[in-house]
Amino acid sequence: MTTADRRLTEPARAPVAPRPTERGPDRAGRGGRRTARSGRRRRRAVALLYLLPALLPYTLFSVLPMLHTAYLSFFDWDGVTLPSFVGLDNYRRIATDPQLRAAAWHAGALILFFSVLPICVGLVAAAIVSRRAGRRGTGLVRTVLFLPQVIPLVAVGILWRWVYAEDGILNQGLRAVGLGGLADAWLGSFTWALPAVGLIGSWVVSGLCMVLFLSGTQRIDQEIYEAARMDGAGPVREFWSITVPLLRPEFAVALSITVIAALSSFDLIYITTGGGPGNSTVVPGILIYRLAFGGGAVGVASALAIVLTAVISVAVLVINRLSREAP
Amino acid sequence: MSPMSPSPSSLSRRTFLTATGAIGAMALTACSELTPGASSSDKSSTGPVSTAVPADKITLVVADADDTTMTPGLLAAFRAKHPNITVKRQYTGWDDYLKSINTTMSADSAPDIAQFTSGMQNLVPGRLLLKVGEYGKAYGWAEKFPGLDQITLTQDGKTVGTGDLYGVGAGLSFEGVYYNKAKAKELGLTTPPATLAELEALFAKAKAAGETALVAGNLDGGLNHPFNVLLSAYLTPKDREAWAYGHQSATIVLPEAKTAAETLLRWVDKGYVTPKVNGVSDNDATAAFAKGEGVFRISGNWAAAAVAKGLGEQAGYFNMPPVTAGGKVRTTGAGVYYCVSSKSKNAAAAAAFLDFAASAQAAAVTAKAGFMAPDAGAMPSQSGLIGDVQQGWQTIVKDAGLQPFIQNASSPTMGDTLTTQLQLLVGGKVTPDKFLAGLQTDYENYHK
Repeated sequence: MTTADRRLTEPARAPVAPRPTERGPDRAGRGGRRTARSGRRRRRAVALLYLLPALLPYTLFSVLPMLHTAYLSFFDWDGVTLPSFVGLDNYRRIATDPQLRAAAWHAGALILFFSVLPICVGLVAAAIVSRRAGRRGTGLVRTVLFLPQVIPLVAVGILWRWVYAEDGILNQGLRAVGLGGLADAWLGSFTWALPAVGLIGSWVVSGLCMVLFLSGTQRIDQEIYEAARMDGAGPVREFWSITVPLLRPEFAVALSITVIAALSSFDLIYITTGGGPGNSTVVPGILIYRLAFGGGAVGVASALAIVLTAVISVAVLVINRLSREAP
Repeated sequence: MSPMSPSPSSLSRRTFLTATGAIGAMALTACSELTPGASSSDKSSTGPVSTAVPADKITLVVADADDTTMTPGLLAAFRAKHPNITVKRQYTGWDDYLKSINTTMSADSAPDIAQFTSGMQNLVPGRLLLKVGEYGKAYGWAEKFPGLDQITLTQDGKTVGTGDLYGVGAGLSFEGVYYNKAKAKELGLTTPPATLAELEALFAKAKAAGETALVAGNLDGGLNHPFNVLLSAYLTPKDREAWAYGHQSATIVLPEAKTAAETLLRWVDKGYVTPKVNGVSDNDATAAFAKGEGVFRISGNWAAAAVAKGLGEQAGYFNMPPVTAGGKVRTTGAGVYYCVSSKSKNAAAAAAFLDFAASAQAAAVTAKAGFMAPDAGAMPSQSGLIGDVQQGWQTIVKDAGLQPFIQNASSPTMGDTLTTQLQLLVGGKVTPDKFLAGLQTDYENYHK
């Protein structure tokens, strides 16, 4: 169901060893010491065999394409004619491209909308829902909040294009309450396009964060809460003193997932603004797409993809390091 | 530990790394085959050719992104004429087509015939397209097809209009002005205007009456339609084609281009154009116009069906007027072009299909799909809006006024650049001078 639950069940599944050991005695009778070593090797081979169904597609469709991309990043290639080796030129070009600097800034700003905001919303929602567990309606609330996660991002983008349109729901709402002066074509505004797209991300990710935190709160021993209540703690105090600190592992997961979503965002922006107006919502993902598929610069696009992957990996690594240390 | 980084717990790390490493090394040794660049052996030229259609059983594979009834209609008609030829169509949606066609054409199983679109120029230096010039001479295509220069390219694929012929344009499209007859009558607008200045005066009148004069959407760069036709009106055909076709040292930083940019900006600033135009998509603009919003819309004949359906009897059309009364009528257009793969084993049959697209029989199919047929005289006359559009086409053919879109062949990235720059221009972020300079920078990055 959730990542946290899956983690709990994993150790139970992991030891593939028992079976070979069961069969071990058959052979032990024949060869003494030698069999012990070969048994260990056999166990490894069997373990590898078990891993193969997962390892093979992973290598074929994730590892190899990644290595291939890294390889291509050293070439000047239009995707059709013969490539020519250019060494680190593509990386040099990336480092000096002003458009890319803008894209990096936008991706950074998206972390605010894809990570910070949804984690806050998800945390509060989880706190409220978990306190009311069992009462009527909480299941419905949970489903409704999680629903955006199930809709394909392309559909989400189209949906929100209507919401943000000049005569869309948002502006209609503003006009209905007499705030028509604030109405704008949000996705076409140089000021508002980035926050508007970012908020779509918040809408999508908040539900996921809530479910993550919910499963986390279920893990927390109820006795701790009871003890706190005995000491006179209210719901707010409980939240800050128990729920938040004990949800540290869930924070790490939520932050990792959402930061990855923010930095590698593409589909949502491609559907809603395409990077516009001007360059005000351009992100690295959009640039990679433009370079590779429209611009015939597969090498530069690959180099950019590698840099983006590296940046994301470092970010996730840092998040995990920080979350492991005790406060 | 987070589930994002699963570590191989029960399995020794060394075994794991060895396994992955081995597969990785295998991949790297195979890498020379992982950049499937075309070999330089020249297979793209034909030997002597004839116009005889092969009589044995043949299968032609056709890849296209044509969402109208034209391509399937032409294929069905061709099939009926040559029962020995089986046709297999591989249709892909427009966006996916652009993404995948270069790979598709590089594959050993490349289709025999493919719709040629901008972005496929790279296939020319890759020698993946067949030079059909010999077939053209044998069939006499120069007389049959207008606009062949749009699919004539130099050896490096960077310049259009000179070099070798790689295909034919089966159905042509072009831009003009649609208008709402009922509103025009109510506002006392006299159409068609004889000059651009008269058109602008009509915009002013419509605006004064509280109407949106020119319905447009620029969320995805739809203002390129008015801008392209304004360039057609203002630029000399020589300057226009030199730039649009990517000729060496051509420039768009010209006083006439500046006039075109300033005109467009003035239309926006004076409130003639749909308000907040950067937030409206081009499709939504067509839909709004077809629903009765606004008075005028500059778009292509591909929008005719939607406009006719929405406005019915009240849908009107006229050609974009020239700068001076009585001047040549010029506009922007493109078309559905077909090219032949250099890997095709059935080039003669493929060429026969290309030739078939110019036939009178094909003209009926093409016209029904809303395109202009190469054989303009053979198009069945139609009434209503489509009829008006067809009449406009006759004038453009007479004045040889069909010009390429500036973003199609000038550079591979020009479509995105033009969208970005138009949004900046009408958003008041750049001046017309900086706008043109921005386009020119993209151009020069490619034509170094």
